[in-house]
Amino acid sequence: MFLRHLWLTDFRNYATAELAPATGLTAIVGDNGEGKTNLLEAIGYLATLSSFRGAPGDALLRSGCERAIVRAEVDNDGRVASVEAELHAIGRDRVLVNRQPLRRSRDLLGTVRTTVFSPDDLALVKGGPAERRRLLDDTLVACAVKHDALRADVDRVLRQRTTLLKQAGGRLTADIEATLEVWDAKLADAGERLGDARDELATRLAPSTAAAYDAVAPRPARVGLRYEAPWRDEGLATALAKARADDVRRSVSTVGPHRDELALSVGGLPARTHASQGEQRSLALALRLATHEVVGESAGSPPVLLLDDVFSELDGFRSAALLRSLPAGQALLTTAGALPPGAVPELLVRVQGGTIVP
Amino acid sequence: MQDLIDELGRMPGVGPKSAQRITFHLLKLPREDALKLATAIIEVKDKVTFCERCFNVSEGPLCGICTDERRDTHVVCVVEEPRDIVAVEKTHEYRGSYHVLQGAISPIEGIGPEQLKVKELLGRLDPEGVTEVILCTNPNIEGEATAMYLARLLKPLGIKITRIASGLPVGGDLEYADELTLGRALEGRREVE
Repeated sequence: MFLRHLWLTDFRNYATAELAPATGLTAIVGDNGEGKTNLLEAIGYLATLSSFRGAPGDALLRSGCERAIVRAEVDNDGRVASVEAELHAIGRDRVLVNRQPLRRSRDLLGTVRTTVFSPDDLALVKGGPAERRRLLDDTLVACAVKHDALRADVDRVLRQRTTLLKQAGGRLTADIEATLEVWDAKLADAGERLGDARDELATRLAPSTAAAYDAVAPRPARVGLRYEAPWRDEGLATALAKARADDVRRSVSTVGPHRDELALSVGGLPARTHASQGEQRSLALALRLATHEVVGESAGSPPVLLLDDVFSELDGFRSAALLRSLPAGQALLTTAGALPPGAVPELLVRVQGGTIVP
Repeated sequence: MQDLIDELGRMPGVGPKSAQRITFHLLKLPREDALKLATAIIEVKDKVTFCERCFNVSEGPLCGICTDERRDTHVVCVVEEPRDIVAVEKTHEYRGSYHVLQGAISPIEGIGPEQLKVKELLGRLDPEGVTEVILCTNPNIEGEATAMYLARLLKPLGIKITRIASGLPVGGDLEYADELTLGRALEGRREVE
């Protein structure tokens, strides 16, 4: 799929803006704070209905405005659709496909697909397990939209279960136990499905990540990637039953998909604690490239690549290696400095104070 | 005036802007029309209570459905809210009685089985000779959990427990069904006789 046209109204620092990206590489250049990333963020918003920078919805509205609009014309294997998201300062946001409002905004997911590279990606390797679980879950949703509901179900059941444990205050009465059993059954059901999906995804990601690592790292290394969920051997229902006394005493849910880890290793050693800064950076790039490949395979065509200021963080070797490894397809990159050597954009646009200068 | 806006703003589905609009509309209304609304609110609060048996809304000790002798009392349809009864009644498919739980199990909202009319449901089973309980709670996390809780509670009593099916809207297109609903519909498929 690719983006034919993008229109913005009152989004971030843009009053109005229009961009027709190239089908290949588009480079967006400009000084810091002029609005380069905001363009990528708008495209990303159509893909996930959230900001990849983790900004809350009202931060996306131009200051003083009540409504922002992001609209795009998307080509999915020759089928052109117009996608529009209306963000409101007050009230519910609205999503329209071909000018028809969708009953539920989430139904938009899967229409626009993006893979985002950002300088924060290092956190995928250096950060806590939550970062890596989010990577898995986001990738699952991009592969098949049904996973969005599954993830929401697991979150909701967990919140209910943990709240119940807090209310129990360490004492398991018959009433609490009867209710807890229901939430355990619900968690076991949804959690097993999420665990299976994540494990299967990790298995698919492993060879792609290893190959991508060798392509972007100065020195090849044996890269490992494994989904670690201690409860999966005995099943979540059994694991929850075993952990019950402990859970009640500590008023937390100690077992389940929210405690799992995507274990990464370089040369057989845990990447988070043992890999060098350079190895971690290469591994983060490799992970993104691998998810890009897997989502592309699942969806039938590659997502739009959004490269947000990544080259400022990479040395010359990795920049060139990343550019070489980028698969064919639509890509948009932003940079405050010079273009990395080897980047030959089909279209170069300059951004200045919330306007796009061709 | 701000008091009225604040009060209206507390209603479900009414935001601050709508509350303001309604207030200005009420200001323009002739006095008797506005009084009609005020009186209707007072009357509903004074006259309407909950049915002693099924906890539906009622103008007497028992609601219209519980006093209707043509209804089958051996089947009880368990719903979360009185408005769900209205929905089921519209189908004209159901001639049994109801039981309103007045909510669903949700620890986040501080609702456990004790806050719901569960004990009252148990108390009805024997005296009314109930043979089937239909679990008609919402098909969301909390509704499903409530249904499962009740099923586990009632199963040992030897009563037939059923759960409403979830699936596709009639007259719709498969193409436009969301994946989750269609998946559920496939899961609950039936053999054609």
